[in-house]
Amino acid sequence: MADFKDFTKGIWSENPVFKIVLGMCPVLAVTTAAENGVGMGLATTFVLVCSNIVVSGVRTVIPDKVRLPAFIVIIASFVTIVDLVMNGFFHQLHKVLGIFIPLIVVNCIILGRAEAFASKNSIASSALDGLGMGVGFTLSLVVLGSIREALGNGTIFGVSLFGQGFVPMLVMILPPGAFVTLGLLLGVMNRIEQARDKKP
Amino acid sequence: MKEIARLILVLTIICVVAAASLSAIYTITKEPIERAAREEKLSAMRKITPAFTNEPDVDKVTISLGRDNKGNEIARDYYIATKDNAVVGIDFETSSAAGYGGTIYIIVGVTPDGMLTGVEILKHSETPGLGTKVTAPAWLAQFKNRDLANTIWSVKKDGGDIDYTSGATISPRAVVAAVKQGLEDFSSYREEIMAGAQTFITTQ
Amino acid sequence: MKETYILTTSPHIHNAESIPRVMYSVVIALIPAVLVSIYYFGVSALIIYLISIASCLVFEAAAQKVMGRPITIGDGSIMITAILLAMNIPSTSPWWLVVVGALVAVVLGKQIYGGLGHNPFNPVLVARILLLISFPVQMTAWVEPVPLFSGVDSVSMATPLGDMKTTLMLKGLIDTSHFSYMDTFIGFVGGSLGETSVLALLVGGIFLLARRVITWHVPATYIGTVFALTGVFWLIDPTKYANPVFHILSGGLMLGALFMATDMVTSPVYPRGMLIFGIGCGIITVLIRLFGGYPEGVAFSILLMNAATPLIDRYTTPKKFGSIVLDEAAK
Repeated sequence: MADFKDFTKGIWSENPVFKIVLGMCPVLAVTTAAENGVGMGLATTFVLVCSNIVVSGVRTVIPDKVRLPAFIVIIASFVTIVDLVMNGFFHQLHKVLGIFIPLIVVNCIILGRAEAFASKNSIASSALDGLGMGVGFTLSLVVLGSIREALGNGTIFGVSLFGQGFVPMLVMILPPGAFVTLGLLLGVMNRIEQARDKKP
Repeated sequence: MKEIARLILVLTIICVVAAASLSAIYTITKEPIERAAREEKLSAMRKITPAFTNEPDVDKVTISLGRDNKGNEIARDYYIATKDNAVVGIDFETSSAAGYGGTIYIIVGVTPDGMLTGVEILKHSETPGLGTKVTAPAWLAQFKNRDLANTIWSVKKDGGDIDYTSGATISPRAVVAAVKQGLEDFSSYREEIMAGAQTFITTQ
Repeated sequence: MKETYILTTSPHIHNAESIPRVMYSVVIALIPAVLVSIYYFGVSALIIYLISIASCLVFEAAAQKVMGRPITIGDGSIMITAILLAMNIPSTSPWWLVVVGALVAVVLGKQIYGGLGHNPFNPVLVARILLLISFPVQMTAWVEPVPLFSGVDSVSMATPLGDMKTTLMLKGLIDTSHFSYMDTFIGFVGGSLGETSVLALLVGGIFLLARRVITWHVPATYIGTVFALTGVFWLIDPTKYANPVFHILSGGLMLGALFMATDMVTSPVYPRGMLIFGIGCGIITVLIRLFGGYPEGVAFSILLMNAATPLIDRYTTPKKFGSIVLDEAAK
């Protein structure tokens, strides 16, 4: 039943950041550097895949009336697991991502996928959907983080891009830079879509 | 009635399973987390203190610095670093709530005479790329060999001796104020701290 | 009370000549301040004006081409943006600062929203704030003005407001005695290119008033509010708060009140709204100057009031005959 499309749609046609525009809190807050985007993206992907699998597995058991609290408990458990494991075994990354990990609980993408997809589809499809959405989310964060880090700090993944004379544009790594970059990228995405639609 | 019972049952089972798996994970990760936290502290201490052979986070002297405005006692741990039966340095944690994004937690290393051997930032929430420049090793290095007497303890913009990156003055100001306060506290309680430190030398 | 409406209620008579006429009036009004700034800050000022005009024209044309709109770089509005942008940055600015500023003003401040008339915020101030936050060092590298052909090297110098704030923080007192009112009036102080000369700006402002391009409402209430509020604080404690004359002669107040708060696109349409707009700008400016982290608050206050403009317009639009019926029908 699982379709490869369940995976690919999360990357472009239903990209969680640029198409569905969900989970903006971490998108705007952590993308001050490309590296943060990778960490946050991978953590979110892990939670997405796990919660999608579990939600899909119990979808026939859970009564409709209590599905939301049940989903939230499942998601919150996985987030806590990520938090603990990362703190214990990847301490440096945990220091950087710090307060954003618990925020994954309230990331709309995860509940959104649980509600809109996993609760209606097979385990395999849900796992693929979670993975695709997670990869799409991670890529979006890395793109945003790279642009902001490059302009705002002169580096990408900590590697210096420009020469000594480059004066970083601080606003890009401050909150306004997040909104401006996200807005411009959304515009570019829509533009590309328009151009594609025009072609036969 | 029957429906409610079913809802309760399902939710209870989910919660029990979630709680059980969380407690299992917690038990597994408890030790690594503590070890990582301790290692982080020790590695900061190694950076700001001359080489030592003991475990300073165990060999500590706790001093009461009086009471805060709510009447609670303020206690500070002074970590004693020793080598060859001599005190080589004292580390302590201090903080400033005047950071741009909240409290900045700092660990400071001094010689027994109260001269700085190093400063490290433990935890902060400053603006990335701007306030975070206070965590740069090059910026922190300038604190070395300073003490209360040989330095005017404020940033250059305010007429002091401490360099900082233009554009971000709030974070350096907070760090400088916290380090200065820490040094003042140390010099006020120096006798007590050094008396306490002696016990770690004789017991070794 | 007799009111002169520049922007009238219906019937709207469209006049193809009106945009360029209004825009070039503003350009002419800016010329005295431009000349004074070139006199005091020298060739570097002239170069900044030229870079600003060139890059604004290029970005405007490029943005309009990309977005498939008619290219209207001849209507004069872009010239105002370019000149005001240059006036809002220090004479020591490197070339790239001007280019980045032009890009932000034209693309992010104006064309993104749909071009002239659709931008909610004053494009020049958007650029100024973005530059100030991004490049705090370059945007505060003031130098002492040196009259052209005098052969003296310029030295760095704080603006009167910046100097006041630093002194207040260090000593707990203010000392503005070393700034003479005459110097700040003529423009012989440090600051952004176009903001220093109160005299030249006033000449331009009076020209605009006479040509009815702007009305007195916004400048008068803005400057009046700043004068009154700083006066109150000065009376309370003259050792901590500078006197009101110093405040209205310093910083970007004249430039902001006469040329940027009066921008037709981003300020209220009706006189009653203009009064609210001017008072709001004045209050925010004083609050930032006296209690904020930045020494100057003109740009921030105008942008904040720009954001409030649609709301102000909504509540100050005069009731037209029969409008109640229309309101009812709309429900």
